[in-house]
Amino acid sequence: MTVGAGIGYALLALGPSLSLFISVISKKPFLILTLLSSTLVWLMSLIVMSALWRAFLPLKTAAWWPYTILILTSVGFQEGLRILFWKVYKKLEDILDAFADRVSKPRLFMTDKMQIALAGGLGHGVAHAVFFCLGLLTPAFGPATYYVEKCSKIPFFLVSAIIALAFSTIHTFSMVIAFSGYEEGNKVDKCFAPVVHLIAAMLQGRIQNRNCRDWLTFHFLIPQAVPDPPKETLTNLAFGGCMIGIPLLYCVAIVTLVHCGKMAWRRLIESRSREGNLSNSQ
Amino acid sequence: MDDSKLFVFLLCLFAQFCISFSASDQVNSFQSVPDLEKSMYMAIDGYPCVRLLNLSGEIGCSNPGRANIVAPVTRFKTANKLAEPSALLVSIDQFEDLFARLSDDADFSRHVVGVLVESGSQLPNGLKGFSPDKKFPQAEFAPYQSGKFEWNPTGSGLMWRAYNFPVFLLSNSSTLALQEIALRNEKREKSYTVDVADFDLVMQTTKSGTRDSETCLREQTCLPLGGYSVWSALPPIVVSSSKKVKPMILTVASMDAASFFRDKSVGADSPISGLISLLAVVDALSRVDGLGDLDKQLVFAVFTGEAWGYLGSRRFLLELDQHSDAVSGLDLALIETVLEIGSVGKGFAQDDKTFFAHSTKESATNGTLSALKDALGSLKTKSIKISRASKSNPGLPPSSLMSFLKKNPETSGVVLEDFDATFTNKFYHSHLDDLSANINSSAIVAAASVVARSLYILASDKKEINNSVLNTININASLVKELLGCLLSCEPGLSCELVNRYIAPSASCPSHYVGVVLGEPSSQPYPGNVGDVPRFLWNFLADKTAIPSKNTSSACPKGCSGNGEMCVKAETDGKGVCVISSTRYVPAYSTRLKYESETWEVLPHNSSDTMGAADPVWTESNWDTIRLRVYTVQDTRFDSWILLLGVTVTVLSYIIIVISKAFITKALKRD
Repeated sequence: MTVGAGIGYALLALGPSLSLFISVISKKPFLILTLLSSTLVWLMSLIVMSALWRAFLPLKTAAWWPYTILILTSVGFQEGLRILFWKVYKKLEDILDAFADRVSKPRLFMTDKMQIALAGGLGHGVAHAVFFCLGLLTPAFGPATYYVEKCSKIPFFLVSAIIALAFSTIHTFSMVIAFSGYEEGNKVDKCFAPVVHLIAAMLQGRIQNRNCRDWLTFHFLIPQAVPDPPKETLTNLAFGGCMIGIPLLYCVAIVTLVHCGKMAWRRLIESRSREGNLSNSQ
Repeated sequence: MDDSKLFVFLLCLFAQFCISFSASDQVNSFQSVPDLEKSMYMAIDGYPCVRLLNLSGEIGCSNPGRANIVAPVTRFKTANKLAEPSALLVSIDQFEDLFARLSDDADFSRHVVGVLVESGSQLPNGLKGFSPDKKFPQAEFAPYQSGKFEWNPTGSGLMWRAYNFPVFLLSNSSTLALQEIALRNEKREKSYTVDVADFDLVMQTTKSGTRDSETCLREQTCLPLGGYSVWSALPPIVVSSSKKVKPMILTVASMDAASFFRDKSVGADSPISGLISLLAVVDALSRVDGLGDLDKQLVFAVFTGEAWGYLGSRRFLLELDQHSDAVSGLDLALIETVLEIGSVGKGFAQDDKTFFAHSTKESATNGTLSALKDALGSLKTKSIKISRASKSNPGLPPSSLMSFLKKNPETSGVVLEDFDATFTNKFYHSHLDDLSANINSSAIVAAASVVARSLYILASDKKEINNSVLNTININASLVKELLGCLLSCEPGLSCELVNRYIAPSASCPSHYVGVVLGEPSSQPYPGNVGDVPRFLWNFLADKTAIPSKNTSSACPKGCSGNGEMCVKAETDGKGVCVISSTRYVPAYSTRLKYESETWEVLPHNSSDTMGAADPVWTESNWDTIRLRVYTVQDTRFDSWILLLGVTVTVLSYIIIVISKAFITKALKRD
């Protein structure tokens, strides 16, 4: 491959995130701050996870249950962090609303709240794409290409980029769903993010089909990249590989997108009609 | 919302179901990004053919410019028509056909940009011989008219031509890998990926445009071929003595081989079998008492650079003329006769071992020949035969004796070889002249036994030969076997016990290519500038011919201060021993070169040096790295598609987001 292909892969993985950044987030400084802080929080969660699990790795067993525990704990940890993020956001929202009242400016609109959630999700998505795809992309700028045995039709870097794209989509929009779920107390929305996260994690492990052990050591013991929680490692299945895995992953991403769209539309219509009633009643 | 919930739960179940199927396959696993790079680029171990220059031009192989050559790997089939620049994978029995085709077919040779030569543990069927050297090697140095006589009829002369593409010899394991890759390339006809070989054989003389020895030595883009020869006297010559200096009998062998591929110059039969024979002779004679009382002095010399214009022997004779330090104690006038041990490893026909004595003028060599006969008789065995070489031979075979003869046509000299009119070694000067099938250790032992006893007989001159002493001169066959393993194979190679007793070798696989002269040539060179094999020979010969020093508590190398003392085994963990020995290095390089103020200069032709007139003055180009690797490459169309895809996805997502934003704003009539 060449520089052109390398740039192509990078754009494939991060292009939509970049578009989202330019069109929505870059317009408001607060959103940029939210994005940066959520990226930082995600990174720190990785570091903490790897520090906790370093003592147990490399896992020398071929049994699947330690890996399941690994995935469950790390997904659980990240979801727990999401709830923490939500609580901090709530406090911030109260502060901002109080400030707005003081200077007689309008409070946070529904769209603003959703944009903040979007920025948070985008932060997670960008961090994931950068560390899982861009970190590996340096060899893609050289002359050679690489094919993994189980997925011999598509170059390894292309698979990596496609997965990163799917994941950034999932991260971005599931954050919106999660925030709305916490706010409204909707059970489905609240569970949506963790479940989707878990499924996507296992699917990625299946697509990339790497030996669990080596993937773990790769991500936990290399000094230069931030270690990733082991959620991406589970199932190395004999059938399918990337031919089934990638479409499934994109199904999950589309489900997330559609669900988020439907939920956002519903809430916006509701809030507009509420405000309409308010103004009518005044 | 219910249907999406349902969908999510279904997926969850499916995923749970999948967990129970987890199995960890051993797939391409890597630990880090550098590991990923390593698995993308497969490094191939191969032996290159490098660029050598002489006074009129170049030979050998090199990349045609500064850049690496990258080309898809295909197999060579004689009816091949190449559509694009390719790297050909060829087996050794097709090697000569390929090069014949390259010189005849211009269209074909335009598309060949690299050659990879297979190697296997067994010779391919139908390969009776392979020799890239000429049919009369070094004919220009012969002291007679060479005419059309062919000492080496299997010779193709390929190693003496210039090629502007890289040629590599693959190791056994790399051969299998590349055969697989070539097969894969053949199978995928219309695919958008192809496996390519990346050759890095960029030579400095190509980069700087210096195309012959004189310019490249001046620009310092090359170094002259040469090394260090070793000579030793048994018993040691004590220079400052009241005794009259004895006439000398010089026994000679050479230690360097050549081949198409620089680092695979094994030379098992030619000439290492002769070298091992000489070492066994020294070992046997060192155990004989009373050598010092004999009439003549025995001197042993091992020359290097003989394959590249008899560099070692010519330089040795020049130093003798100049009475330099390197040859102190020796005198050319006192050298009565020369006995050279040439290729003796194939001296067997069924159960008999037959050797041929090629001699200079008959009148001069009667003494040596009768000594050989007497020695043979004393061995009391019918299985060894020594005959005189056929009279239809035009003269001596290519050997170091040619230098002596050119210097003094009256020299008395005999070369002991295992052939008469044509080489029995069908793999002369090729990488296939190795231990596996080409030589026989019992032949070497036989030759050494005859030579050892003949030397004793010659040294005793006309005195009554003490038969009891003669019969104790026996060759140590296990030493010969050990030397074969140490000098001619990679297992154990130079890490064998025998070699490690004397030196700390820098590599395990021995290579008998002469190499280049590093630093300033001198009789006491810096050990780092001397190759492993010469250092081993120096230490071995010094140890075998030594008289123990009186100062036994001395620690080498600082403590050897006595007259004629030197430090043996200095590299082995500081366990050096001081001994009295006459063993010295003699620099071996062309007599047409002079080292002055850190550069090499080509001297004008000296009329008294007839061999120097014919000397091409070989030099070897410098290089940065030599590397061969294989990787998969995508079509450029595919790369452009990927770039287009990435840009499209970005632009499309931007458009969608803008539209959705506009839609939402319009629908809410605010923000």
